[in-house]
Formats: sequence, C-alpha cells, structure tokens
Amino acid sequence: MSESNYTKEKKVGEGTYAVVYLGKQLSSGDSIAVKEIKTSEFKDGLDMSAIREVKYLQELNHPNVINLIDIFMAYDNLNLVLEFLPTDLEVVIKDKNILFTPADIKSWMLMTLRGVYHVHRNFILHRDLKPNNLLISPDGLIKVADFGLARAVPGPREMLTSNVVTRWYRAPELLFGAKHYTYAVDVWSIGVIFAELMLRIPYLPGQDDMNQMEVTFRALGTPTDKQWPEVSSFPGYNKLQIYPSPSRDELRKRFIAATESALTLMENMLMMNPQTRWNTIQCLESEYFKELPAPSDPADINIFSQKV
Amino acid sequence: MSSSFEAELILSRPYLTRKQISRAQKNTISDLRTYSQKKLLIIKYLSDMCVQLKLPRKTLETAIYYYERYHLFNAFETELIHLLATSCLVLSCKQTETLKKINEICQVSYKVRKISKVNQDMMETFKKRICQTELRILESCSFDYRVNNFLHIDEYIIKIGKSLQLESKVCHLAWLIAYDVLKSDVLLIIPQHSIAIAILKISVELFNLKNDNNGNEENSSKWSNVDYSYFETNENSVNEAYFEISNFYINTFDICDLQGNIPHDYPHIGIESFIELKQTAGSQTGLDELPNDDIDRDPFLCNSRNSSVRERRHVLSSRLVIEEYNSINNIQHK
Repeated sequence: MSESNYTKEKKVGEGTYAVVYLGKQLSSGDSIAVKEIKTSEFKDGLDMSAIREVKYLQELNHPNVINLIDIFMAYDNLNLVLEFLPTDLEVVIKDKNILFTPADIKSWMLMTLRGVYHVHRNFILHRDLKPNNLLISPDGLIKVADFGLARAVPGPREMLTSNVVTRWYRAPELLFGAKHYTYAVDVWSIGVIFAELMLRIPYLPGQDDMNQMEVTFRALGTPTDKQWPEVSSFPGYNKLQIYPSPSRDELRKRFIAATESALTLMENMLMMNPQTRWNTIQCLESEYFKELPAPSDPADINIFSQKV
Repeated sequence: MSSSFEAELILSRPYLTRKQISRAQKNTISDLRTYSQKKLLIIKYLSDMCVQLKLPRKTLETAIYYYERYHLFNAFETELIHLLATSCLVLSCKQTETLKKINEICQVSYKVRKISKVNQDMMETFKKRICQTELRILESCSFDYRVNNFLHIDEYIIKIGKSLQLESKVCHLAWLIAYDVLKSDVLLIIPQHSIAIAILKISVELFNLKNDNNGNEENSSKWSNVDYSYFETNENSVNEAYFEISNFYINTFDICDLQGNIPHDYPHIGIESFIELKQTAGSQTGLDELPNDDIDRDPFLCNSRNSSVRERRHVLSSRLVIEEYNSINNIQHK
C-alpha cells in the first residue's frame, strides 16, 4: 500500500466516453493526462472506444505513439493515465502566428510515418489519422494518439465497417463502402495531412459523404478500372462524374513550395488503388527524406505562438 | 488525510499455475463440486448463445476465460452465474471485435434459458446489471488486454497445423478437441498458442495409435522435428497443456463432446486412447510449481480484493513496479 500516485488538477476536455484531466504523477513529478472513462448509464456498457484504446496502447511502445502509463480504478471508475502532450498538429496548422518551414514539415512527416509504421508492424489499423490526433510533446515529438477506432488486422473472412476515419481524411475505398481494406487507409490519411501541412488549409474538405467523393475525385481524378481493376463494380460508381487525374504541372501549381520528390511521395500516398498505394516502409525510404533540407530537430521547431 | 489516500499497485499475472489457481479459489469458491457442475452448465449456455448469435469460437473462448478468471478473485454465487456469464459474453464480443447489441444478447439469453414472460423492466434491470459487472470482470484480469487479443486456440490450430503441413483430418480432430478443452481450466494456465500446439500433438498421436504406429509415420516424424521456439513457446508449456488435456479427458470423458462429434471415417477414440497416450508419454512434465509455503505467502492469491481501496492501479510490467518501489524508498531515505 502506498499513497495515491496521481492527481487530477484541471479538467481540460470532455468527450462522449471520457473526461480528460491534467495532473501530476507524484512519484516522478511528471505532468500527465488522466482520462476518466465514464462507466455509468451507458446503453451498451463499457464503451468500445475505451476498450480499443487500452487494448492497442498496451501493445504499443514507441517514441512516436502516445504512451499509456498506467490504468487505475478509483471510485469505481476506470482511469487511463497518459503522457502529457500540450498541443497537436491541428492547432499548429491553424495558428497563423506559428511559422514553419519545409524542414519542419519533413520532420513531422517522418515522425508520423515512424509512429504509424510501428502501429502497422504490430498488425493494428489506426483508422482515424488526422492532424487533431497527432499530438505534440513538450520536446516537439509527434505522438500518434486516439486509438478509439483502431482494430487488429482482420482475418480473411471478417467484414469491417467502412464508416471509419474522419471524412476529410477518408481513403477512396472507404468512400466506396469497402468491407475489406488494409493499412493503406492510414497511409491515405497521412497523404492528406501532408498536403494540408504544405497548404495550411484542409486539402479535401467534403461537406458530407457524397460531397467528399466529389471533392476527392475532382482534386485527384476519378479512379478507372485501368488504374484500379474492378473499381467500377463498387455500388454507386456509375453515378460518378469522371474527372482526369491532375498532371504533374497541375500539382506543382497547387503546391508551389514542394520539391519533386515531395510531390512523388504525396502522389504515391494518395494513389487511388489501395494495392499500389505506398506502404509506410516505401514512404519512409522515399527520396523526399534523403534529399535536403534535412528534417528539423523536433526540439527546435516552434510549436507555440510567437507573439512578436 | 485530505489529499492522500490508500492506493494499491497490482502487477497483472494473466496466467497462473494449477496450485496457484487452487489457492485463489479457496477464497472465492466454497464448494468446488458445485462450481464445476455449474461451469459445465454455463459453458453449454454460452455455447448455445454463440450458436444463436452466430459468434465464432474465439468469442466463446474469451467469454469462458473471463468467467473463470472472475471466480479467482470474486465469490462464486450460484444464483448469479447466468448474469455473470452474459456479462462475460458482452465483454468478449467487444474484445474480439464481434460486436452485438446488448439488447440482442439479452433477448437471446432469455430465449436460450426458455424464460418467456419478459417485460421491459426485467430487461432493463438485466442490462443494467450486466454493465455493472463488466468492470469487475476486467479488473479481475487487471485490464490486461494482451490476453485474448491476437491469440485464439481455433485460429492457431489452423495456422500451426498448416505450417506443420498436417493433414486436414488431424486438424479437424484437433478442432473438435479444442472445444472440450474450454471446459478445463487450461485457459487460465497456458497461453492459447501453446494450447493449440498441445492439442495438435494429441491429435497426431491419436491418429497414430489407431494406425499401429506405421500408417501415419509421416505425421509423427514431422512432430519430432517441431521446433517449439519457432512458435514462441517451449517444451514445458506445451507439456503442461498436453498433460492437462489428457488428464481432463481421462477424468471426464463422459461429459466431453468429442465422442459424439467424431466423423464416421475417423478411428475410434475412447477413454482408453487417452490412457494409452499418457502411458506412452511417460512421466508427467510441465511448468514448475512453487512450494506451497510460497504460494500461501502470495498476497495476489491469498488476499481477497478490497474494493474500498480508492486507487487500485493495474500495471503490466514488473519494471514499473520496481521503479516505483525504488522511487518510494529514495523519497523515504531523503
């Protein structure tokens, strides 16, 4: 028996299934976040997101994945203790007072891909990658977080729901309602995030699910059977307007500051056919990460507003 | 007193030895006979539920693990077993990603138990109590989701059987045996992949018995070359499961489902087959047991769980416990 080890000092957020507090780990003095899972009055009992979060974070231990420090029961409530992460990529992208460079973007992409590679290596699909779920530690490290929608790679006959991933970051196979999909859905999301980092506005902001298809294919071209065999057999394909894929010149115009190898990486992450889309290893080994400028040292990137 | 209160630090121990299980059950089960009888009833109940709900074997297996695990640290109460088992199934559906609405599970539960006059109030109370039990079940597992996550016996029988290139008949027999195995306590003792290997071994040997040791030489010679470390296990774990299972059949062959389900073109398998297996296997080996004194001194097994402790922390790595112990000592030294 010892003293209680965690304090909850300030409520910082409330979601559908949890309340998040900031606090301290008394044994080390470190700042931590405590996620108190609401357990009472649920329609279907303990929330699936809470279960998934614990289940997958227990398996993962990587500098670019959020660390689940501890689990405890207090007053009949389940509490998850997570490392304290003061900001996230969405906040940084939206804050016009923060200036960042191509080297900073490269550093964030590298850390994100390393984290997601580790997730995939453990046979887990994240299924909700977006800037808001890429948290940033005080020393600038990207941490992949929010495993509430994650799941283990399914067996060959298991059906999956295509209703995953926040709309703007949803891969075409999900938009078509595929019941079987792979790690490629996560790579697509990172590709969209990459574009958003360069543009500093959302790249494919659909207003609803139908509009998302329109926006996606208008920007990147409607997939054809030639690029993606049998894509036309998805229900709803015939109603689609056919747009051409953007030429390299068109992409250069959209992403003025991007180098050729940055565009190559993005193009391959945003490949319509999930089978030819690059996996995280191919992304990590791409020319983009080998050419100059070298990725910034995470600790040197400004992630908080610099009021001049 | 205001800001500090008692806390407990519990290291997850997802698997225990036979003796450790008995020690824990001493606190929670007053009549083991009744417990065992009821457990068979519950496994039948859960199996029927899974059939009705079209749930795979892994969901059943996980529910049974939860049910057994719960009774290591919580009192066994005969009148609550159906509620508890249903709650285990609800949780297991979530754990194995075979989601079902709690409403549907409750309806099927009444149907399977042949309770016809169900009103809305009964249903609501039932649901509420299921949800209340969920966390207690998880706590009895120390919230250790590493168990029952990627590993399930039936899936590994197929995967390992395939990688050892065993005949499909042998794997089918193994799959039948795997169902009976759920009735023993072996899920609490050995991880599922090791159980799967032990079952395959038994299945190979059962086929060999009937072939006078020559018809299936191919299979048996294959077995002697099996490298357990390739499957992330070892001889002791596999042997432990092997003897648990053969003893289980020898002691309770009549209540097992194997006999009634062996296809006609398979060799006859009776209780004597398992006795013969055991004789051939020689002296029983397996995991090491600790001396009784040590087991009796183990607070994890001997102390009943105190839900009045305000902060009950469950950790997965012993490193964390050691670090914490050191940091507390350092503070005291200062």
